[in-house]
Amino acid sequence: MDADAAKTARESLDLAFQMSNILDTGLDRHTLSILIALCDLGLNPEALAAVVKELRREPVPLPPSDAAGPVL
Amino acid sequence: MEEEDQQKVADLIKELVIRLRSQNPNSESHPPTPNSPEFQSSLRYAFRLISSRLNPSVAPDATAIAESTKRRLATQGRSSQALTFADLYTKFASKTGPGSVNNKWAVVYLLKIISEDRKNGKTQLDSSVLLPNLGFNDAESGKESRVLVGRGNKEKGWNNGVLLVSKDPENLREIAFREYVNLIKEENEVSEEVLVRDVLYACQGIDGKYVKFDSSADGYALSDLIKVPRATSIMVRKLCELGWLFRKVKGYISESMDGFPSEDIGTVGQAFCAALQDELSDYYKLLAVLEAQSMNSIPLVSETASSGNYLSLRRLSVWFAEPMVKMRLMAVLVDKCRVLRGGAMAGAIHLHAQHGDPLVHEFMGCLLRRVCSPLFEMVRSWVLEGELEDVFAEFFVVGQPVKAESLWREGYMLHAGMLPSFISQSLAQRILRTGKSINFLRVCCEDRGWADAATEAAAAAGTTTRRWGLGYGESDALESLVDGAAKRVDKHLLDVIYNQYKFKEHCLAIKRYLLLGQGDFVQYLMDIVGPELSEPANTISSFQLAGLLETAIRASNAQYDDRDILDRLKVKMMPHGTGDRGWDVFSLEYDARVPLDTVFTESVMTKYLRIFNFLWKLRRVEHALIGIWKTMKPNCITSRSFMKLPHAVKLQLLSTLRRCQVLWDEMNHFVSNLQYYIMFEVLEVSWSHFLDEMEVAKDLDDLVAAHEKYLHSIVEKSLLGERSQTLYNSLFALFDLILKFRSHADRLSEGINELQARTMESSLPSRDKSKTKKRSNDRSSEPGSWISEGRKALTQRAGEFLRNMGQDLDTLSKEYSSLLEDFISKLPMQQHVDLKFLLFRLDFTEFYSQLRPNDVCFFLMACVEDLQLT
Repeated sequence: MDADAAKTARESLDLAFQMSNILDTGLDRHTLSILIALCDLGLNPEALAAVVKELRREPVPLPPSDAAGPVL
Repeated sequence: MEEEDQQKVADLIKELVIRLRSQNPNSESHPPTPNSPEFQSSLRYAFRLISSRLNPSVAPDATAIAESTKRRLATQGRSSQALTFADLYTKFASKTGPGSVNNKWAVVYLLKIISEDRKNGKTQLDSSVLLPNLGFNDAESGKESRVLVGRGNKEKGWNNGVLLVSKDPENLREIAFREYVNLIKEENEVSEEVLVRDVLYACQGIDGKYVKFDSSADGYALSDLIKVPRATSIMVRKLCELGWLFRKVKGYISESMDGFPSEDIGTVGQAFCAALQDELSDYYKLLAVLEAQSMNSIPLVSETASSGNYLSLRRLSVWFAEPMVKMRLMAVLVDKCRVLRGGAMAGAIHLHAQHGDPLVHEFMGCLLRRVCSPLFEMVRSWVLEGELEDVFAEFFVVGQPVKAESLWREGYMLHAGMLPSFISQSLAQRILRTGKSINFLRVCCEDRGWADAATEAAAAAGTTTRRWGLGYGESDALESLVDGAAKRVDKHLLDVIYNQYKFKEHCLAIKRYLLLGQGDFVQYLMDIVGPELSEPANTISSFQLAGLLETAIRASNAQYDDRDILDRLKVKMMPHGTGDRGWDVFSLEYDARVPLDTVFTESVMTKYLRIFNFLWKLRRVEHALIGIWKTMKPNCITSRSFMKLPHAVKLQLLSTLRRCQVLWDEMNHFVSNLQYYIMFEVLEVSWSHFLDEMEVAKDLDDLVAAHEKYLHSIVEKSLLGERSQTLYNSLFALFDLILKFRSHADRLSEGINELQARTMESSLPSRDKSKTKKRSNDRSSEPGSWISEGRKALTQRAGEFLRNMGQDLDTLSKEYSSLLEDFISKLPMQQHVDLKFLLFRLDFTEFYSQLRPNDVCFFLMACVEDLQLT
């Protein structure tokens, strides 16, 4: 990975971050970079978005639900 | 490699969860501890979510997504941010090569969704707080995750939910409903290709999957449940106008064609339908091409299209621009023509063709050529063959069954409603007359020569007599054809009328016999039917009169006339009442047969009859006056035989005679001048005008008009018109007076003759016995005969007789003067200039004009003085 690529990557991330700010997504730079990486790996952006949404909002789950919920 | 990727993904997700959880405002003070149960469950949850959706639901088109994002920002009123975003995106997209983001569309899409989610989360924050149950279940979660999450949340928010729901039930329902609708819409998102295909279907009048005919709104519309941008749905609606128009046109055609032939839409209507059908088949061709193109998928905005032949709604709207104009026109025409037929329909379409747009103009031209072709075919066959091929009553010439004699006048009419506006009124008249002439020739004249004339006309006009030779827009050709045909056919018709049917000869014969132009014939007739006509009308036999007429013809120069003409001359007895004399009912009539009865119709013959009666009366009066003259010639009476009478009686005789002669002279002056006027100023002048007009007449209409004019001028000038009614009455009073005078004069001359005979007998009883034998026989039968009473008594009786006669003559003369005065004073009031000439003629010496009404006695005294002088 040479300097050029790193530069490009950084710039891309900058741009994406700015867009993200304009769109008021509330993501920080680090989270965004993770998401971009995941996208690059071919994950469905819709799924990622769902994860973001769900986890952000998720209130503290109760201890008993933790056993029941995921098992299903 | 796979393994590695999997690992990478797992790590990244883990990290993501950590990041998210650390940010989560709800997680309060908990530091992210990787091993806590909450973290584990969150992680599992995240994996689940991700694994549940492997494929995105939209096309991977970064540019389109960016565009839509930008538009969203713009519609939210954040246009500067929208611009910034667009700018950033272009920069972002331009980063290529190593180190750049490969899956750009995914990134952009991700941002978009997160942003939307956050917005929804914000606006519906309440709902998630108030209604954890519903909110989670229906709206917020994705399809697959819903069950899971819902379940998880059901338990946790139950208590809260119940409490809050009961607080605000209305809001709850509303929100629930809105969210349900949103959900359905999300599920029903359709792609543009499908819409294009649907629109194409709709434009053929077929309901598509999403675009359906909505009968309540009377148009095609997208179903409400489908989520498309407003712009798209508007465009779809606009495009589907074509479908609506198509339905209308198609409906009209099938309605008309199905109704045929029971419901007569007529040949023009059929032609119109056929023309529309052809237009529609062109339209079908276009649709077929478009449909083929619609199979190609729409390339994404970022891709360059592999083949240009794809269809988007926008492309479709360009394709539809021209058919839309045509279809609109057709729909307008269909609306307009629904109730019209035949010529009226063609006229209505013609009005629409007056358009500045060359496209419209040309289109309408084509249509009209088709529509009008049956009409022009009718014109052609009417003008050249006289055939009225008009089963559906569409032509502007209407025929009706009539008798042959009124064929020309009433057989064919123009139907103004069916006259299309591109055929002028005068041309229509010519067309009507030409066909009428042909029919007249065929029916009334039994002539075949017109066919040659028609063929010649067609050849001259440059069109052949074959079908479809004419068309809309070639009005010059039509005009020249009609003119040529009219000229030739009319000429032929006139030739036939003049030569074969001898119109002129018949007119002359009518003038000679009905208008008493043949002097010797009238004289003979008057002489031989006179005694007969003095009988009461009901004792006269018309057969006998017919015999007398024949005798009169044979005795006069009329015998050299054509036999055919003489055969048509007949005696007619008019209906008579009691007390009518033969003179009142006798008349002549002339039998004008087909085809000449077109000119000499019944009403015309009635006019002739009136003129004949007038002239006949005039002749009779003239004849009577001549009769008086014959018996009363001065040298007949003043013979030496009176020398022996006493002076007083002789003077009285002379004065009476003189008075009678003066009165006669005055009457004769009047009658002969009237006679002269009628013959020379009226009949001959009118006849000569008529002859001139006959020369220049181009068709039968002209001829009929000329004849009408001729007859009218005679009627007007000879005081038979309506305006000269009173004058006519006083004239007849004069005539009657003159006839009365005649009987008086007859009596006078008879008395004088007798006196003369008596005197001669008394002086020369032996002379001329044989001559007076009959008279003496008569006398012997009379009891108080003059001869027995001797000379004195004779003188006395003669004196008495003469005095009586003189008194009668005085009364007559007074009456005559007043009547004549009346007549002459009325004469200048007449409008007709020729009657002024009559006055001038009657009063040439200004004799009457110097007489005032109260000066009449002067006139008489002058007469008396005159008498006494001699």
